[in-house]
Amino acid sequence: MAPAIIETNGLTRSYGDICALKPLDLQVPEGEWLSVMGHSGSGKSTFMNLVGGLDRPTAGSLKVGGEDLLMLSEDGLARFRREFVGIIFQQHHLVPYLTAVENVMLAQYFHSVPDEAEARSALERVGLGHRLKNRPGELSGGEQQRVCIARAIINSPKLLLGDEPTGNLDHKSTVMVMELLKELRAEERFTVIMVTHNQEVATWGDRTIYLDDGVLVREERMRS
Amino acid sequence: MLFRILKNSFLKRPKSVFLVFLSIAMGAAVATAFLGIAGEVSHKMALELRSYGANILLEPSAVEGGGFLREEDLPNIKTVFWKYNITGFTPYLFGVAEFSAGDKKERGVVSGTWFNKELAVPGEETTVQGIKVIAPWWDVQGDWPAAADEAIVGAALARRLKIGVGSEVATTARGRTQRFRVSGIVTTGGYEEEQLFAPLVTVQELLQQQGKVSRVLVSALTVPMDDFGKKDPATMSKDEYEKWYCTAYVTAVAKNVEEVMAGSRAKPIWQIASAEGALLNKLNSVMLFLTILALGASATAVSTSLMASMAERSPEIALMKAVGADRFQISAIFIGETLIISVAGGVVGYLLGDQLAEIISRTVFNSTISSPLWLFPTAIISAFVVAIAGSVAPLRRALLVEPVRVLKG
Repeated sequence: MAPAIIETNGLTRSYGDICALKPLDLQVPEGEWLSVMGHSGSGKSTFMNLVGGLDRPTAGSLKVGGEDLLMLSEDGLARFRREFVGIIFQQHHLVPYLTAVENVMLAQYFHSVPDEAEARSALERVGLGHRLKNRPGELSGGEQQRVCIARAIINSPKLLLGDEPTGNLDHKSTVMVMELLKELRAEERFTVIMVTHNQEVATWGDRTIYLDDGVLVREERMRS
Repeated sequence: MLFRILKNSFLKRPKSVFLVFLSIAMGAAVATAFLGIAGEVSHKMALELRSYGANILLEPSAVEGGGFLREEDLPNIKTVFWKYNITGFTPYLFGVAEFSAGDKKERGVVSGTWFNKELAVPGEETTVQGIKVIAPWWDVQGDWPAAADEAIVGAALARRLKIGVGSEVATTARGRTQRFRVSGIVTTGGYEEEQLFAPLVTVQELLQQQGKVSRVLVSALTVPMDDFGKKDPATMSKDEYEKWYCTAYVTAVAKNVEEVMAGSRAKPIWQIASAEGALLNKLNSVMLFLTILALGASATAVSTSLMASMAERSPEIALMKAVGADRFQISAIFIGETLIISVAGGVVGYLLGDQLAEIISRTVFNSTISSPLWLFPTAIISAFVVAIAGSVAPLRRALLVEPVRVLKG
């Protein structure tokens, strides 16, 4: 079995009196595609935000890629996100005044040095070679999500996080996006954490965990 | 990339960019105008204040016997280092005499002086010196003396002697008598109203003191005294002394004049010098305060505009943070934006402020001014200061944006 890229021990996140994630012990091996399922408010996005260094736990331990995220400063977490993580959001979150290629270059800019040729190539890989100069408002939902994927993979992350990445897409676009992610994962060998409430999307992963009211209630391994 | 971000950010939000630009330009314009006319105002005020009396008194030095100064040394005053700051001077020769007019007789002071003397100094421009120059507030009823035997008489003395314009006064001193025709009666509100003023050369002859003067009053443009100016030159190092000597403190100008008048001792007339200094200091403080106030108002306007803009842009900031931007990178983008706007605002503010200063100068002082070179960098720096001060609170807000809250699906 591959070494664990994510290790949590009693990982907890509370917001005042509300405990969004109850003590969670979990290990995710390097290269695994883990789907996280649950109803709205089950704690799946909270889990993803903690793993992605976007939020801090209130208790427990959290190691990602050997880095103890609790020990990192705010700027340390920013460095962790840009060097280690790629995030795909449900609502894409592209900068509206930048073109597709510029949105991808933005992640390069914060990571190291923007390279337009590399950004173009990333967009070509996700099938958007013909939409490089279009702004988000000129792209369909599926296309915007593919720009988001290109932006997420441009810095060769070890961990790709998807927060309901197909939540706003129709079936055809969903399949297209999932196939694209599968191909990219095969090439790049990154670990995927995919938060979803769609059972069909969850089946694209190697393993699915089910959260309910912040508690891991079930775990299911997919057949390859 | 930063350039692309900034360019697109400007193009996509022209309204908020324009508001920030306008706030900065207005601040820089007011700062330019105020600072531009501050020098002019000080200069004009100093010139105005010079009309309130001389500020340096030259007397014979006690060490030299305490007698007289030499009239032949007077032109030297217009050759000193600070010659252009000396707006005028006039010599006096005093003597006690007996005045008689009709049946009235009285002992009093006869004063020989220059009224309106054209002074030619080799190698220098010809200037006009005398009481008319340094004491323009003297109210002469009648005319100033135009001939060697004409005099003006102080109002109080004239009242007692019961004389008026056109009367004759016999002035006797040291056994000699000189008859003066009264060309005017002078009112000053001071001790001068007790004296008779006649041309210097005539009084020198009357008093048998040819070529001599008792004192010289000098009117000079000076800068307000500060702590350094108040230091005793005798205790200064060579460098300090040079700096002091080359600054137009009233003490430095006095020292300068003293050096060219043999046997003299120059003393600042502190009542005048201090009052002038205090007034000019207050004036400069008011100008500076108004400038700071204007810049503060601009910074507040910038801050308000940027705050609104930050609220609008919080998803963008959250996204940048989510993809790995640290605080320095976020700050670089927003400060970069503001600084670019501030350069443009500074340039436009300078041009507007320059015109504003011109209008103020023409309206208030009836003169034109030319902006000093340092005003341009000052306008740009003012714009920077406004931009940075106005950015502090919005930037702090930007850095506090939490991606998790803003990007929640």
